[in-house]
Amino acid sequence: MADRQTRSPRLQPRTPAQELLDELGPVERFHDIEEFGAFGLPSGQVTEDMLPADAQGSNPARFGPLEKLHVFWFAGMSCDGCSVATTGATTPSVESLLLGAHPGLPRVVLHHPVLNMESGPHYTRAAEEAIAGTLNAPYAVVLEGSISDELAAAASGGYWSGQGEEPWGPDGEMRTVTASEWVARLAPNAAAMIAIGTCATWGGIPSAEGNPTGAMSLMDWLGKDYRSTFGVPVVNVPGCPPIGDNFTETVAAILYFLQGFGPLPEFDELGRPAWLFGETVHRNCVRGAYYEEGTFAQEFGDPECLVEVGCWGPVVNCNITSRGMINHVGGCMNAGGPCIGCTMPGFPDKFTPFYKRPPGSFASTTVSRMVGSVIRPLRRFSNNNLNREVRWDRQGATPSGFGREMPEPSAIAQVNHRFYDALRRSGDRGKAKADVWGKREEAPSGGSPEPRV
Amino acid sequence: MCFKTLPVEFDERGRATLRGGIPNPYDVTLTKPDVGMTEEERTARIARLVARNGHVKDLNMDPVTRIAGAMAVHVTADLENRAYLDSHAVATLFRGYEVILMGRDPRDAIFVASRACGVCGGVHAHAAAYAIESAMGIKPPPLGTVVRNMTEAAEMGYDNPLHLYLLAGPDYSESVVRTTNPELWPKAEAWKCPNVHIHGFATMADLMTALNPLTGKLYREGLEFTRLSREMVVLLTGKYPHPENVVPGGVSTTLTLQTLNEYHSRLGKIFDYAQRMMAVWDDIPAFFYEADDRFQLTGYRPTNHIDPGYWDDPHAYDATYENCNSWGEKRWSTPGVVIGGELLTTRLTDINIGWEEFVEHSYYEESSTTRFATDSLGNPLSPYHPWNKRTLPKPGAKNWKDKYTWACTPRWDRQVVEAGCYSRLLMTAKAQKMPESEFMTATGSGMRFLVPKGETGEREVEWRVPEKWNAFERNRGRAYHYLFSQLVALESLLQAYDMHKQGERRVAAMTPEELENAIPDDERVSVGWWGAGRGWLTHHLVMDKGKITNYQICTPSTINASPRDPWGQPGPYEEAVMNTPIIEEMSDPSSFTSIDMLRAIRSFDPCMPCTTHVHTGAGEVVREVNTCSCGGD
Repeated sequence: MADRQTRSPRLQPRTPAQELLDELGPVERFHDIEEFGAFGLPSGQVTEDMLPADAQGSNPARFGPLEKLHVFWFAGMSCDGCSVATTGATTPSVESLLLGAHPGLPRVVLHHPVLNMESGPHYTRAAEEAIAGTLNAPYAVVLEGSISDELAAAASGGYWSGQGEEPWGPDGEMRTVTASEWVARLAPNAAAMIAIGTCATWGGIPSAEGNPTGAMSLMDWLGKDYRSTFGVPVVNVPGCPPIGDNFTETVAAILYFLQGFGPLPEFDELGRPAWLFGETVHRNCVRGAYYEEGTFAQEFGDPECLVEVGCWGPVVNCNITSRGMINHVGGCMNAGGPCIGCTMPGFPDKFTPFYKRPPGSFASTTVSRMVGSVIRPLRRFSNNNLNREVRWDRQGATPSGFGREMPEPSAIAQVNHRFYDALRRSGDRGKAKADVWGKREEAPSGGSPEPRV
Repeated sequence: MCFKTLPVEFDERGRATLRGGIPNPYDVTLTKPDVGMTEEERTARIARLVARNGHVKDLNMDPVTRIAGAMAVHVTADLENRAYLDSHAVATLFRGYEVILMGRDPRDAIFVASRACGVCGGVHAHAAAYAIESAMGIKPPPLGTVVRNMTEAAEMGYDNPLHLYLLAGPDYSESVVRTTNPELWPKAEAWKCPNVHIHGFATMADLMTALNPLTGKLYREGLEFTRLSREMVVLLTGKYPHPENVVPGGVSTTLTLQTLNEYHSRLGKIFDYAQRMMAVWDDIPAFFYEADDRFQLTGYRPTNHIDPGYWDDPHAYDATYENCNSWGEKRWSTPGVVIGGELLTTRLTDINIGWEEFVEHSYYEESSTTRFATDSLGNPLSPYHPWNKRTLPKPGAKNWKDKYTWACTPRWDRQVVEAGCYSRLLMTAKAQKMPESEFMTATGSGMRFLVPKGETGEREVEWRVPEKWNAFERNRGRAYHYLFSQLVALESLLQAYDMHKQGERRVAAMTPEELENAIPDDERVSVGWWGAGRGWLTHHLVMDKGKITNYQICTPSTINASPRDPWGQPGPYEEAVMNTPIIEEMSDPSSFTSIDMLRAIRSFDPCMPCTTHVHTGAGEVVREVNTCSCGGD
């Protein structure tokens, strides 16, 4: 296993997925569903057939050719956190994907162990059909969790991550089929392979130092040359957990493109949706301006920029500070959590130990402290002026009951503000000499004696 | 307090000692529990029945859906006599979080351990924080503890409706009942719901239709409320399921008045919903029991429960093992062990020293040690205790008589105990030690709650300890636990407002720099006692020279999904399935769906992801690892 972990992909004659399939041999038979009768089928039908007629009805071709798409969801070395995050998504939500509930959205027939009505062989039947080539619509595969090195476990007759049994053993014996094997068998004919979450996209924590299962990412598993039937390499939606909406929106964007009305979704060089992961999380951080002004949180819970309590935001690709976690609520730094880089291929080992400031931040925080020491007083000065009505300036008094202690600006400050106002108004077209004929000559009573300050 | 199986005695001051004169007090062949039916007797019975009729089926349901994680259930079903003769619960997934944690800086534990399970997100992060704080002697400021309680109570607000409406609910829906129990459907159409004035469904048939997957009103409403509660969580944690705000010694949440107010407005919507939820899950058992008395036995097992308590008293919690019995009993949810319906103890040290984990039927080699003979107070520890346990993995072929799962077998005093969020109601009700509250009272035989006014008026409700714990009572208990947790959320929010009023702002004990300097060099042993959506959660930690040298997670689904123990006692899932009568209608054996088994299993809310994984090469164990886990070993 060690060899499979360290050798360069360039030297690999076969991908790890091919190695596993070569070892396991071809699939020759499937479940005899008759034999199982209704076992594991408590509603008498599979989930898709239970949808109401409106949802099942064919999508008029107005928007595009696709009526539905099967999505097989597999969990490898997974905590189910990506599934949980996905159920939290709202734009679109998982239920609207499943019902095809938006104009032009093909219905998604999801095969997900946490959601489906059917269990056992009835649950795995659709995946069998996909492998056999008899499924009634195109399919995509979503992997949550890392791929485990099942060759290592198989050598001693066991497995790391099983999902279902199939008659694929010697002489048609039932054997546990691993998530890795399902993914390897389904990949060649899939319309898209989508990795959700940092485990599936980059290996994540299961592949961190001490990695006992040979865990790796979907890209590592399928290799550089993998292309889906639509010619797409592995799509990666990282995050630990990912933002649910990042995932459902990516799926929807791909579907809109396939329907013909959406633009080609742009993916970056690592297969991430470029429009979601193109910026560092710091650039849209609600605390980013503290960095600019050179003020930093020193204790946990402080409201300022979190870089010095261990935040890696300035060098991490993520959009959680602008999108929030769920329904635009939350976000790590929004709430006070320093970024630990959970969307990144280097997570976690390039970010540990946690709660320690990134060494690279010393240079930039020193500079921003210097710049900030100049900017902050200037801003405070202008801010004071803007916190006053023009009327108060004229009257020389602030009527706020809360502001009894608030001093009036000093003579010097007033001169400065006037100078600043003159600068601001230079080039104001309101000073042009055109005759304002659309109003009365004199200002109405109570109006401003000096139009525009 | 006394142990029934283990030879442990207590003096008047509650100190435990081993009874003298027993050479190997923890030897599994010497110290045995009372076992109902042995494995040999069970096998012989099945053989007799198979010889008599051909209706005994051996079936493997893999995967079981609508649970979290990967699980299979094997049953031997006698379709003629309508009984499950045998059952095996199989955890089919491994990852290796404890292995990855070992050798690391203790500061990594919170964020790494969190990823053990993404279903109830923050629980592992918190348990890890408690273990670290206890090992390093860091006491969080009261507001830090309050924020943790607010987070974890809100998390239950997501977890309970998810289970009741997305996972278990469909088993009681129109789509299933009409297929598996068609004789019930006319009854359901005629049955007037006693709680119609609360939930609005006139007949049971209406209610069951609302439980239908994806389109049912209750299904959809449940999903929406999981989102609302998750919004409450991320106001404090930034992210869900894995929180970004848990630090050793508190939290890093920037707690402003806006945070508290936003939390408050969302919480305000929940109490109306809680009333509807309890009304639904009170009517469902009432209907099923009335329709067929045998439903009392669906998923039945004796009242043997364990729970380490949940949600600390912000002023009492001091992070020490020495005082754990005192601060433990001040938790909102009282720790405890109930055997045969009787509360034996509420002391965390008793819970700890009675705890052992076995691997007879799991893919591991035996590997107990005697590294720690006692805890830091001098109470004796078993070689099978998590602090002493190493686990030597040995993946291999499945054999029901030998090894068949990655789950290990935790037992307390060598007895089979169950974990669940409803166990919190049981312990707290029986112990009557909970902190004073205007909204919650433990009565000894139940819990009385005052539901605050929302759109509907204030109302008093009561949950009573059920006579028979079965699938319906687990679900009903979960609905009442939803209210319990949301009242803890309310009490904690009021505490937070109060501390805010006093000008209290500190949420963490230390700055990052102080934390770095506080990591000790000597050997430290600790445990973080916490809870999850399914009850019990512990992280046992050993650190030395400032790094983690042993880390063991034990989760509720490890307990519930456990296989046979060394004495042949089946784990809780297995036992519950074997007690379940087959009630579903079958015109012939091919129409057997096994819904009764599924109802039994799902009522536990199985959550299998937090399983550990270990490394072997070519059948040889190349690394010794310490393991324990959730769901799977």
